[in-house]
Amino acid sequence: MIALVRTEMIKAVRRTRTLVIALGLVGLPTLIVVAIHARGNRPDREGGVGLFRLAQHSGLLVPAAVLSVMSGFLLVVVAGTFAGDSVASDAAWGNLRYLLMRPVPRGRLLVAKAFVAGVLIWISTILVAVAALVGGLVLFGAHAVNVPSARGLSLGGLGAVGGLGGFHLSETVLLLRLGVAAAYVAFGFTALLALGTFFSTLTDAAAGAIGATVGVYIVSEILDGISQLGNIRLGFPTHYLGAWESMFTENRYSHDMIAGILVQLAYFVVFGAMAIVWFRRKDIRS
Amino acid sequence: MPEPIIAVEGLWKRFGDVSAVEDFSFSVERGEVCGLLGPNGAGKSTTLRILMGLERPTRGAVRLFGRVVTPSCPELARVGAMVEQAAFVPHLSGLTNLRLWWEAAGGRLSSADLDGALGVAGLGDAINRRVRTYSQGMKQRLGFARLLLARPEILVIDEPTNGLDPGEIREIRELIVRLTDRGATVLLSSHHLSEVEQTCSQVVVMNHGRLVAGGTVGELIGSSGSVYVEVDDRDRAHTVLAGIAGVQSVAGSGDGLIVELRSGRRSDLVAALTAAGVRVETIMQTQRLEDAFLDLLEPRNPPAPGGSE
Repeated sequence: MIALVRTEMIKAVRRTRTLVIALGLVGLPTLIVVAIHARGNRPDREGGVGLFRLAQHSGLLVPAAVLSVMSGFLLVVVAGTFAGDSVASDAAWGNLRYLLMRPVPRGRLLVAKAFVAGVLIWISTILVAVAALVGGLVLFGAHAVNVPSARGLSLGGLGAVGGLGGFHLSETVLLLRLGVAAAYVAFGFTALLALGTFFSTLTDAAAGAIGATVGVYIVSEILDGISQLGNIRLGFPTHYLGAWESMFTENRYSHDMIAGILVQLAYFVVFGAMAIVWFRRKDIRS
Repeated sequence: MPEPIIAVEGLWKRFGDVSAVEDFSFSVERGEVCGLLGPNGAGKSTTLRILMGLERPTRGAVRLFGRVVTPSCPELARVGAMVEQAAFVPHLSGLTNLRLWWEAAGGRLSSADLDGALGVAGLGDAINRRVRTYSQGMKQRLGFARLLLARPEILVIDEPTNGLDPGEIREIRELIVRLTDRGATVLLSSHHLSEVEQTCSQVVVMNHGRLVAGGTVGELIGSSGSVYVEVDDRDRAHTVLAGIAGVQSVAGSGDGLIVELRSGRRSDLVAALTAAGVRVETIMQTQRLEDAFLDLLEPRNPPAPGGSE
């Protein structure tokens, strides 16, 4: 199994596309950091996004702001690309049938491909966080921050903990929570990984599998915004993706993070099992 | 009697309402070089995919080394296969492709017959270039290198010259001949009849998913068609040959006679002529495999409608 994972990893890592994605995942956070720095302390007419406003006061908070904005779409596309492409690209090249005739057992091959896609998704998330952290430290330095209450944030106050009931986040706490946040964001693509892998077994067109995977997430996010759907939304794979932000804006580990992990695991089990069952029974005609 | 090394038993494969393979059976003995002939869409590739565990039969079974083939069954490790065109990971070099393909199943490349395989492929320094820069012929040769890595006991080769230019076709044919000379059991699927005629001892013909005919190339050619005969006494030979049950017609041609056969073999003609005291100088098939193949698919002299046997 280790040898199979290694061969699949080499195939994925040596693709030009993977290199381009990696460059993008370093370059875009750097641009965002520069944009945050350029924006300075100008008042935000729209009330502002909490993490972005906090980020101006410590480089240790910049990765949280960048993860917040990038996990909504760009990282979804990247994760969808790695997951949706996992089986379909080999099928499109015609190489899949040769792997199976080697013979490599189908279940083992699928698990190896999904594992590699999962590792690349985690690396992508970490790359974004590290690029943002480096940029943040260079431009803003590493400082503890005093975070005002949510009300204080909306009023534009920062740095004064006192009267508005804020809290203090030390450098150590910020680093620790940053690690948790990056891990939660990466884990938040577990459902997507299973969905993408499943879609990837359904088609020989990698673009179709990637599109379907990203499409499901976009639809999920749209539906999640419709409050009339009530508790149904709790089962959407994107519902709890932002639950980690409370660690920085409200100084607490939200119970929603646990719910988010459970939802991700549920999707992983269901669609992972479907992918394995389908792939093991599928006629390979490409 | 030893068990066939490849056995296809009552194979059916349906895709919805369409039957790709219908009640198809044949077998290949160890050491045979068997051609699987049929026009495009006859069901050859589907049969080979089932043989290699890529597709499941709707009914029937395929056996390799006496064991029923299932997806990724261990018997496949003893088979080198090229199903349809050779295909690789395009952004990796030829050598990396071979290495990753081999190591995917857990082995180290040092345990494979890399030198032998690369020697057969003859790609030289191009083996270190990315596969996306290869011509189709180079990919096919790399495909042959891959199927030889495991020192396979059986070679399954599907349409090896499809999409190649004449020079590449010649190279690939010579390569197949070299492979068959190694003594491996070969199942070669093709609709290029000269390819099969030059390389195969046995032939199985299928059309519309069904078995049409099977046997040696000589049997297939000799089971119908025409034969050219040179004898010392043409008139007597004409009389003798015209009296043989399987002979449809006898006509003069230069120094010899053209004998159109409905059935029977060349050896039957020789025996009859010899028994009648006619000395046979030359006897040769005027029909090639291509003619026999076309006759099998679309008989040139079909029985009259409503006729009885």
